[in-house]
Amino acid sequence: MKNAMNRLRSWEGFLLCALIFIILMNASLSHQFLSFSNVINLFQLSIEKIIVALIMTFIIINAEIDLSVGSMMGLSACAFGVLVQQGVPGGLAILICLSIGVLGGALNGWFIAKVGLPSLVVTLATLIGFRGLARVLVEDRGINDFPDWFDALGQKGIIAGVPFALIAFVVLFVILYVVLQRSGFGRKTYVIGTNRDVADFAGVDTARHKMIIFIASGVISAFAGLLYAARVGAVRGDVALGFELDIITIVLLGGVSIFGGTGTLTGTLLAILIVLSLRNGMALLNVTGHIQTGVIGLLLIASVIAPRIDLSRVFGGGGQQRTQK
Amino acid sequence: MSKAVLRLDHVSRLFGMTVALADMSIALHPGEVHAIVGENGAGKSTMIKIMTGIHQPSGGTIFVDGEPRQISGPQAAREAGIAAIYQEPMVFPDLDVTENIFISDTSAGLWVRPAEQRKRAKALIERIGMTLDPDRIASGLTLAEQQAVEIARSLSQDVRVLIMDEPTASLSAHEASQLRKIATTLAGQGVAVVYISHRLEEIFEISDRVTVIRDGAHISTKPISDVTSDGMIAEMVGREVGNYFAKAAGTVTDKTVLEVRDLTLEGVFEDICFDLHAGEVLCMAGLVGARRTDVALSLFGVTPATSGTIRYQDKEVSFTTPRQAIDAGIAYVSEDRRKLGLAMPMPIKSNISLATLDEFLSPRGLLDRERETSVAHQYRERLNIRTDSVETPVGMLSGGNQQKVMLAKWLNMKPDLLIFDEPTRGIDIGAKAEVHDLIRDFVAQGGAALVISSDLPEVLAMGDRILVMREGRQMGILDTGDATQETVMSMATGQLEQAV
Repeated sequence: MKNAMNRLRSWEGFLLCALIFIILMNASLSHQFLSFSNVINLFQLSIEKIIVALIMTFIIINAEIDLSVGSMMGLSACAFGVLVQQGVPGGLAILICLSIGVLGGALNGWFIAKVGLPSLVVTLATLIGFRGLARVLVEDRGINDFPDWFDALGQKGIIAGVPFALIAFVVLFVILYVVLQRSGFGRKTYVIGTNRDVADFAGVDTARHKMIIFIASGVISAFAGLLYAARVGAVRGDVALGFELDIITIVLLGGVSIFGGTGTLTGTLLAILIVLSLRNGMALLNVTGHIQTGVIGLLLIASVIAPRIDLSRVFGGGGQQRTQK
Repeated sequence: MSKAVLRLDHVSRLFGMTVALADMSIALHPGEVHAIVGENGAGKSTMIKIMTGIHQPSGGTIFVDGEPRQISGPQAAREAGIAAIYQEPMVFPDLDVTENIFISDTSAGLWVRPAEQRKRAKALIERIGMTLDPDRIASGLTLAEQQAVEIARSLSQDVRVLIMDEPTASLSAHEASQLRKIATTLAGQGVAVVYISHRLEEIFEISDRVTVIRDGAHISTKPISDVTSDGMIAEMVGREVGNYFAKAAGTVTDKTVLEVRDLTLEGVFEDICFDLHAGEVLCMAGLVGARRTDVALSLFGVTPATSGTIRYQDKEVSFTTPRQAIDAGIAYVSEDRRKLGLAMPMPIKSNISLATLDEFLSPRGLLDRERETSVAHQYRERLNIRTDSVETPVGMLSGGNQQKVMLAKWLNMKPDLLIFDEPTRGIDIGAKAEVHDLIRDFVAQGGAALVISSDLPEVLAMGDRILVMREGRQMGILDTGDATQETVMSMATGQLEQAV
């Protein structure tokens, strides 16, 4: 008897095959593709998004959504720019920006977990609110007078030519992987996403759990915003505008159900690698960005359809029972 | 006797292996109020669903005006003139009375003529003897008024059989009498009214004939003048108590685990008082709407009571979350497996460990999945959970096995007090006996069990004492030795109340 996890693994298996296929294709099209500098470059171009995709996986498995991540990235980056410009030391500015992330996440979490409003609405409001704050902070200026060490952190390799952001991604992936797939917190994430009432009745403090996840989302987004500022070396009011959609796309493509309860970080990682290498490969083929986006859209539709077909079989028995009541 | 407008002839309905309706025959005549009574689970709802086309019969024939007819769906039922209203009226809260009445009216074609509809709405409301402004918005209406709107809606579609399923269960006394008046008015106009209620006094007040059903079968149909409430109750519960409910051994001790005094949740239940001892099974009996589950939820910290005291293990407690109750050693096994009990797509073992996750953490704080598996295996053996693997999603198990998984989850926290809400509803006889044995083992080892059950033979066999509730009030506590199905039923229907 196969269970839902096995079926999900089969989606992950499909992603893995697709990934290998894409890598082989790319490598045959261009011997540059597998070169060290291209691989680093491939990650660097989207590094902020894929870092946030890791925590977005938690949010969606928890049957919630966080649309405000892009705006939080922008707010954090702009706040950093303004603080540094005002003469605040860089280290302190970073701390302040991460605190903004905690506060913003707590604001989302409070409305969603304690007040009980839908996360779609709450984070849509903060998407607008955080972005508004970012624009108020920098108005229509661009700020680019960052400390040298900060720019270097974003643009140069720190260990064997690997940049800080990529190392941060790997470290964060390992930590979050252990938390989600191995810890009690991770188990609760799945149960709450499957059925919050069942979790409540089993004594799980579901409000606190959601609060923690949204705070983590806020602080990781703020961190990603700083990475963006460091990599680009400048901030404007529109930093990371619209990133939330790319991030959610990656997570769903990885097999995480938008209804919550299923999905893994492995799936998200595979989806990240596929999207990155697909875009990179198509760029090598001179395929325009619009067509690249179209292809990724098609993949997303496939990812939404595939588990649904499986789920209807898994719950065939349950469905019959429901009509009995 | 006039010709029956709707007649069921030996109709049955199976759901898989479960017999919901065994052999149901009933004839409904124009102009009568025909009451239908039976215990919870006797098959009333299934019968209504067959009459209104929601379910198809597995056997037997339905006659409309003497002609055999298949009622293939709600639309077909409407065409045959059959409509049902329920305890919870189905109105559109943001539309006004007129719009609600003519919501599915297509006779006017594309163009709605509001003025004409308004006039017709007024006439329909007058026809059922109500006064109601057709322009009022439905959300501002009382429950009884909303039901009146529903009835008017069915009249606008020329209803000939109106089924009222416990229409007064959540109404105040005044509203209920309004609704009963509507029922008799409609019967006076030639509609066949089917009236389902747990309030026997209502049935004596308005009905012309009474049909008793039990275990999915027709037991009797008599004119109301030939019926006494005792006779009716005897027929409702009349089945022989089978041998498979072995009497619990006397394991009751003097140690009081739970002491509940004047527990009240405003507007829901009031003045609940009882003691529960180690080794005792206290059963809570009552009909739908008796509010037994609400009492359990207050004890478990889900909806804290508004007044009264709970003493647990000699300490006064007031839990505000399930976690607090669980930490104190109280488990609540919900009646609603799907919504509140189990994470259906998740494996058996993850469901078993859920309430006690902290016990499954390794020193490093990670989940010890091997221990999880081995504990799940232990419970699979002990509770005889029939499955190939503890990795199987619980949604794929049968109801009885799901019930055992839920029980395993709670037994694993080694509770002192186990609240068990409808432990055997919807599970087969074999699993039922196993669940009974498990509860008996639990109290034999010094646990205290509070069992909510609507299954009277089960209540009489399992309980050391029986607390009977009716509409949020405690009607009395019986020693099982003195109790019969008839006394419990009389209390549950409000015919009998113990002096306090």
